[in-house]
This record gives sequence, C-alpha cells and structure tokens, in this order.
Amino acid sequence: MRVLVVEDEAALRDSLKERLGEAGFTVDVARDGNEGLFAGLEYPLDVAIVDLGLPNLPGLEVVRRLRAARKTYPILILTARDNWQDKVEGLQAGADDYVAKPFHFEEVLARLQALLRRAGGWASPQLNCGAVMLDTRAQTVQVSGAPVELTTFEYRILEHLMLRAGDVISKTELTERLYDQDFERDSNVIEVLVGRLRRKLDPQDQLHPIETLRGRGYRFALPRDTAT
Amino acid sequence: MHSLSRRLLVSVSVPLALFFGVMMLVLDTGFRALSERSLQELLDSQMVSLIAAADPQPDGSYAPSPQELDPRLRTPRSGLYAQIRSQHHLWRSPSTAGRSSDFGALLVPGERSNLTYTTFGHDRVAIESRAIQFADDPSGKRTLTFSVAVSLSPYEEELWRFRRELIGWFIGLMLVLLVTLAALLRWVLGPVRRMEREIHEVEEGRSETLGAGYPRELSGVATNLNALLVGERKRVARYRDTLGNLAHSLKTPLAVMRASLSGSAPAGPVGAEIDRMTGIIEHQLKRAAASGGALLGQAPVEVAQVAAELRSTLLKVYAGKDLSLELAVAPATLFVGDRGDLTELIGNLLDNACKWCRSRVRLTAGSDESAGPRERLTLIVEDDGAGISAADRARVLERGVRADQNVPGHGLGLAMVHDTVDLYGGQLSIDSSPLGGARFSLRLPGR
Repeated sequence: MRVLVVEDEAALRDSLKERLGEAGFTVDVARDGNEGLFAGLEYPLDVAIVDLGLPNLPGLEVVRRLRAARKTYPILILTARDNWQDKVEGLQAGADDYVAKPFHFEEVLARLQALLRRAGGWASPQLNCGAVMLDTRAQTVQVSGAPVELTTFEYRILEHLMLRAGDVISKTELTERLYDQDFERDSNVIEVLVGRLRRKLDPQDQLHPIETLRGRGYRFALPRDTAT
Repeated sequence: MHSLSRRLLVSVSVPLALFFGVMMLVLDTGFRALSERSLQELLDSQMVSLIAAADPQPDGSYAPSPQELDPRLRTPRSGLYAQIRSQHHLWRSPSTAGRSSDFGALLVPGERSNLTYTTFGHDRVAIESRAIQFADDPSGKRTLTFSVAVSLSPYEEELWRFRRELIGWFIGLMLVLLVTLAALLRWVLGPVRRMEREIHEVEEGRSETLGAGYPRELSGVATNLNALLVGERKRVARYRDTLGNLAHSLKTPLAVMRASLSGSAPAGPVGAEIDRMTGIIEHQLKRAAASGGALLGQAPVEVAQVAAELRSTLLKVYAGKDLSLELAVAPATLFVGDRGDLTELIGNLLDNACKWCRSRVRLTAGSDESAGPRERLTLIVEDDGAGISAADRARVLERGVRADQNVPGHGLGLAMVHDTVDLYGGQLSIDSSPLGGARFSLRLPGR
C-alpha cells in the first residue's frame, strides 16, 4: 500500500514515515501544500494523510484540488483545531476521516487501514475470501483455519489483491505501490513473489486463489464472503 | 415617564394649563370690572333722571310724574327699581310691585352710597343711594333718600356666558396645541424610533448594521454603533483565529513528542503527561472559543443545515459501522447564537451517540413557543446503545470523565456540551430513550 504523508513538521513527518514503513506501507512525504498537491496528483497512491495547517497551500485546499482532479483514493486529515466546524469543512472538501493532533500512531494506523478496507468494499478488518482469511490489523493470514507464514512483501501483495478482490491489478501497479520510487523496478520480482505466494496459500494446487490474466495482471479469484 | 414623547407632552401641557388658567382669571376679572362699571353708569344715569323727575306731591312726599318715568320702572319685575324715601314718606316705582324690596337705611344729608348688593325676593340686585335736600322743598328742609336698584341676573348671565365661551375656547385651543405638539413629536422623534427599530433588528440578527441617512444629531451615534458592531465581529473572529493558531502551535509539538516515544501506546509517565496536557489544552481552548451568545448582528442559525452537514460528516467517519442517523428537525428551527457553538454541541452529542449506538441515532429538534427565549429551542439526541445508568449520568457530564475507557476520544465532548449549554443559560438533561439507549435533551435560546 502506498501512502502519501503531507506534514510540515519535520519530526512528525519523519516519525510517521518510519512507523508507517514498519507497518508495511510504502511512504511518500511532502513538506508543504504545493509539494503535497504535486505528489498527490502524480504518484500512484492508495491513501493520503494531509495535515490541515500547511504552509503555502492550506491542507483543505490540497484535498479540494485532489478531488477536483478526480483522485478517488481515501484521504485522512490531521487537524490541530479539534472542532466540528473544521471536521465538517474537511470532509465536505473530500476527505474521508480525521484524526486530531496530538494523535496516537496506532489510531492513525487503524483509521488508515479502515479507509483502505472501505475503499476496497470491505466492512471488517478481517478479509474473508473462501478458505483464505487475512487480518489487516494483526497482518496474519490463515487458510482453512491454519496460519500461513508470509514475508512482508508476500503479505503486502496478498493484502493488495484481497482488498480489491475481483479486480484485475496490473504488475506495474503492484510494483509502484509496493516499492519506493527509487527502487529498481523489475516485474520478474513480482512474478517470483506471486509464485511463492501461490505455493504457500495453495500447496495442493486446489484453491487457485490468484489468477494470472496474460498481459493484464493478476486477480484474486476467490469470492468474498458476504457475511463479514 | 419612560418615554421621551410622554415626558415632553407632560412637561409642555402642565405650563400650558397653568398659563391658560391665569389667562382665564385675568380675563374674568377684567370682564367683571367692565360690567360693574357699566352697571354703575346705568345706575348713575337712572339716579340723575329720577332726581330730575322728582316733584313735590300734595301729600308732602316727592314722586316722579308717571309720564317721565323710564318704561322699565313702570313695568313690574322689569329688573330696574327705584325708591324715594324720607322720614315720613315713601315712594316706590311700580316695578317693585309684588316684591319685597329693601333699599337699605335712610342716609344722612350729603351722604351717597355706592354699589351695595342685596336680594329682592330671589332677584340679586345692585343698589345706589343718594341723600338729597331740595332747596325749594315746600315741606321745609328734609333729607330725601333716592335709591335706584338694578337686577344683576342679566349681568350674571352675561358673565357666565362669557366664562363658558372662554373655557370652551381655551380647552379647544389647548387640545389643538397638544395634538399639534404630539404630531410634531412624532415627526421629530421619527429617527429615534427608526434607530430603536434597527437596533432591535440587529439584536435579532435580521440585519448586520444600522442603515444610513440619520439626521445630523443621530448620525454620529449610528456611525459609532456600526463601527462597534463591525469591530466586535472582527475582534471575535481574530480571537478565534488566535485560539486556533494557539491550538495548532501547542499541539504540533505535543504530537512530535508523542511520536518520538517509540514503541507501543502506553508509553509510561511521559505519555501519560502528554495525554494530560492535551486534555487541558483541548478543554481550555474549546471553553475559550465557545462564545456563549449571539453576536449582535449575527443571523440566527438554521439547525437543519448544521445537522445535515454533521450527518454527512459522521456517516463518512462511521462508514465502517452499519449506522442509521435520522434527522427530525422541524422546518425553520432557529438557534440564536454562534454557529460554531451549535456545531460543537450537536457534533459532540451525535459523535458520542454514534460511538455508543448499535445502529440507530436520532436527532430531534424543534422550537417550543411556550418556553422563554433562552429555552425555546429543543434538541434531543438519542441512540439505541447500552444507555447511561442513573448513577453515571451526573458523572458523565463532569470534565474529562469517560464512562468507558475503551472507547477512543478524550471524554471531553460531553463536558464541553455541558459548559456551552451553561454559557447560553440553557438546560441539559440525560435520561433513557425509547430507542433503548441514552437520551440527551437540550434547551437552548431559539426562535
């Protein structure tokens, strides 16, 4: 998952970058409103965190312009003025949720994950597709009730595919959202990772959870359980 | 006496009445003196002709010949009477017939009495008498007392008619004067009344400032008042801005401090202190920002609009929860106060209800015309959650108390609601909702 953090306070920005990275996100950062707007328009993002009190271009305006440019990924706003007028304005401008400063990192993370889940059409933090269950909070995966050990990258690919289960996701998209910009892009790496993932999830080759659509990408093929 | 026009009317009509009273007294006295003089003249001329007409009679008395008598003296009860009297003789004019008439005592020679007043029967009369000695009196020297009397009733009638007319004219004149004065006052005080009306409109938030075109004496007041209104509004805006900036500049370092505490959430004493500071800043700044009243010239707030905005915000925030947020706001329900305060109040209550409910939250708002202006707006927020036990209800409203520590939020929301309702002089109560959960009922200034 690729996240943009727009925050002018360096210490806060660095801490968010570090801890989001630890939580499995690919993090882009921007120091002010203009930078944030540029990154928000240009990068292939899954979610953005925007502080409302930004220099050069107010956070509210950044959100408004991103929405005007038809960017549909969820946006979480950070606000120091914890009042409803600001929250209403922020969400009317197009943001999806807010967190008041000073925040607990865990709360930001929980809100981000909830937003991503909701963007993928999931209601609960547990994603159930047939026999495969992925817990976005614990970052664990079970197949038919038995835990499966995944590496960070394998987990990120599976989370991405399952959050948008049913959609076709290209290899480029996966690469872009899993790696930092300056990372050497090599689609073979993705193929290798997907191959390993298939073997771990489906050792007997019965479930076929991940389909390959030649020239288009991958799709998580197991149907979502509507009960959850 | 609390109206300028009444004061002016009273202060003008009292001297006016006094002036008219004195005028009437003076005119009345003058009229009476005048009529007395004409009475005197009449009596004098009658006296002269009586004396001239008096002739000695064979019986020794003196009497005028009937032909020379004034016709009125010949007619009974004509109002003009005469008498010639000596020690032994008495003559009275025929007009005195059938009437007791006492002209007074005999006079000593040379004496003359001016007007004296008495009554002949029911007739009030004025009498003039003179003592005369005729040199050629055949019965020797003796004193004759000539008296002439005239009835006062025509004069008195005249006087009363004069007084009636005088009073009539004066009352009429005074009424005309007072009506003119009242009309003048209306015209002169028109701008003052207009200012009063416009200030009232500003108070009710129907207009922002006073209009232009006041007369010179009031335009200064109007201009200064407008400057005050605008200045006050700007001052409050600046004040809020400063508070917002203060919040931002205090909380960002706090956020940095918390972020630098690596590791999991309960980060020991430093983390706890950061939480405490955050709570204090939050609470105090919000308290300071709540205005607790409508600014002059601020329009009343449409409750429905604020509620709808908050509803869409909360539905987004609680998108993960299967939530039904019903709004039942009566049309044209208005809150007299600050929009930010109302947004805080409803926002906190709805947020709280959304947090605790199973799936239903309802906001009901309306205005209660029978209540006082400070409690006219009724706001009810209820949910279908677990509710609040009677014991916890008072505690929940205290500052910073959370009924359940597991739910995110700083627990300041309800205390904030309590403070703000107090500031507005409204009322807040908690009981159970028919939906099953807690019900918060607010009474606030409304229209």
